[in-house]
Amino acid sequence: MSAISGNACAERRLRLATAMADEGIDILVVAGNPWRSDYLRFAADITPVEGQAFAFIDRDGPARIIVEHPAEAARFRSEQAELDVRWSLSAIEETEIAIRELGKRRIALAPRAAVPYRLAMGPLVASIAPATALLDRLMLRKSPSEIEAFRRAAVLADEGYAVFLKAARVGRPEYALIADVEAFFRSRGCPENFQILGSGGREVRGMHPPTERRLAPGDLVTTELTPCVEGYYAQICRTLVLGEPSTAQERAFAVYNEALEAGVAAVRPGAKARDVARAQNEVFRDHGLGDYVTSEYTRVRGHGLGLYVDGRPAVLEDVDLDLEPDMTLVVHPNTYHPEVGYFVHGDSVRVTPGGCEVLTRTPRRLFSVPLV
Amino acid sequence: MRRGLISWSRDEVSPSVLERRVACLQEQMRAAGLGVVLIYTSFARPSAAAWLTHFVPYWNEALLVVFPTGAPVLLAAFSKRVHDWIRSVSHLGEVRSAPDLGRAAAAFLKERPPESPRIGVLELDALPWHVAEPIMKSEYGRAVVDATGLFAAIRQPADEAEIRLARHAATIAVQAFKAIPTGAKRASELLSVLEGSARLAGAEEVLPRLAPDLRADATLCRLEGDALLGERYAVELSVAYKATWVRITRCISTQAVPPSWRGAADRFVETVERLNEANLSLEPQVAGRVRKTVAWTLETCRGSPPLSIVATGEAPSPSALPGGSLACLFLQLDLDDGPWLGGEPIILGSRGHPSRLLI
Repeated sequence: MSAISGNACAERRLRLATAMADEGIDILVVAGNPWRSDYLRFAADITPVEGQAFAFIDRDGPARIIVEHPAEAARFRSEQAELDVRWSLSAIEETEIAIRELGKRRIALAPRAAVPYRLAMGPLVASIAPATALLDRLMLRKSPSEIEAFRRAAVLADEGYAVFLKAARVGRPEYALIADVEAFFRSRGCPENFQILGSGGREVRGMHPPTERRLAPGDLVTTELTPCVEGYYAQICRTLVLGEPSTAQERAFAVYNEALEAGVAAVRPGAKARDVARAQNEVFRDHGLGDYVTSEYTRVRGHGLGLYVDGRPAVLEDVDLDLEPDMTLVVHPNTYHPEVGYFVHGDSVRVTPGGCEVLTRTPRRLFSVPLV
Repeated sequence: MRRGLISWSRDEVSPSVLERRVACLQEQMRAAGLGVVLIYTSFARPSAAAWLTHFVPYWNEALLVVFPTGAPVLLAAFSKRVHDWIRSVSHLGEVRSAPDLGRAAAAFLKERPPESPRIGVLELDALPWHVAEPIMKSEYGRAVVDATGLFAAIRQPADEAEIRLARHAATIAVQAFKAIPTGAKRASELLSVLEGSARLAGAEEVLPRLAPDLRADATLCRLEGDALLGERYAVELSVAYKATWVRITRCISTQAVPPSWRGAADRFVETVERLNEANLSLEPQVAGRVRKTVAWTLETCRGSPPLSIVATGEAPSPSALPGGSLACLFLQLDLDDGPWLGGEPIILGSRGHPSRLLI
């Protein structure tokens, strides 16, 4: 375990134990899987690769882990020798039995996104919402060690985009670009990355996993890449052109860049998530592109980052969550542009006491890749 | 969290193959009196919906709704903007936007009430509560039954299309193993080569686990950061190609391959040959340089997880699996000069017929 990881783990445990004591919770049962591993990572410092996992957390730390696969059990035991790890073909049933055996202790179940039906149907159903809210609160503001991991993930995101830029060449299939980036991330010891992309022109309405489509001259190539360091994800979004950008592409870039700058400028303690969304959307409205900030063309204007790639808050005009120092998020005015197609542009930021710090450093340019 | 190529080739999996699978499920549904079956799909549990429709989620979640007749409907929590992409990679009747999946499912059932009131849910126990709650609280809640056994009964044996995809996945994995540089010193170097090779060959997913120094510890780990490679190490590589998963485990020596490993590989093949649908147990291996079998698992896909355990040395009673099933066998042996790990995809033999290696 690295120093950052060890510190982050200790800080998380302390904060969780305090919160559990405040809420009168003796045992917190946390569910997770390879996609929603964030709550498990926070509470027990484990990251499942396959199957479901359940962690029993008491105020002294993780007490027991139940998983579905013997290889996962062996791995967790190897990572944390002090853990009582069991595996079962019926891990949910095993967890249910283990909860029952806890008797009259005050038990809570979380998170809502990963708790399975069978456990929720039991007597702990009423605990799911408050226990999830408790964890969400703790995971929103990052500790110094968490910020350090996030900072390193942002550096990796910049380096990953440089690899992507080099990989994007006319004639290559989309999936080859991802292969180059993933190989690079592995070379840096990065175990996870969420990345989608798009390529083409006005017909492109969004991003998706890579296809067999081969890049062509004049394409806009979009990507968001989200590498992970010590469990913490940072994201960067950029758009490049294969060849010289057209006037329309340059014009579109200017709008997205203005919107990103406006969004980043709106990030400060006391502002709400909706203020950051509105600042970006106003730029589009001012340019007569107001239709393109609706859900028909875009999802969010950014989102929280941390142990999950798409965390709270969603940056939308109807989300009134207050921004506080040491929240981490990506600001991205990604949406469809009627003249050039889907366009992305975004940076990872940390809310600071006086405003915000932009952690991804890749220049905010419409990159042009020469046609060779 | 690292999806690679996702695409649907009609040459590899024709619409008729998918329709046959759906028809098979529908036949079972009619026999069981089920008016509809709901199949949850997500990044972590993609395989049941993918087997029926070729749809693989790269994030988010969806519910596949299968009626006793007609094409499946996908209720997708994805943005409408990606519906065209969903249609391009899958064979579906209708795709509906369903940001609040459970609520959308309850509303959909009200709009299209099933003829029979019984509603099957694949892996009901595991259905995420945020999806299950609105369904269970709706007028259909009382009619919900678990359809896990029904689905598992039709999922294997594998058809020709699936076996072809599995062979392709296994070939990708083997090529990736061949790409490992002989002088690799660090885990990051090794994993980078495996990842790059497999993804350039079209892998949809690459999941490596590594025991970096077999003399110190044979546990297969997920690495964050880096580790020095020992003189002997082991790699487990799980590769998905077009939603079909295989798992291959190899031991690698930076020196000449130890003779004991050749013997272990022979034992592995003998084990494969002894397995069949009537015999899913492994006898303890003690012969030559093999001191004992430390662990073994037989896995297959018969629900929404890509691979789940059918039989293992740690659980006494294996569940049934028909001959012709696509499975992955893993074996860990204790040799007189240290541990040995091996794993390969196999086609399970029927009664009286041995299993065989997939490639």
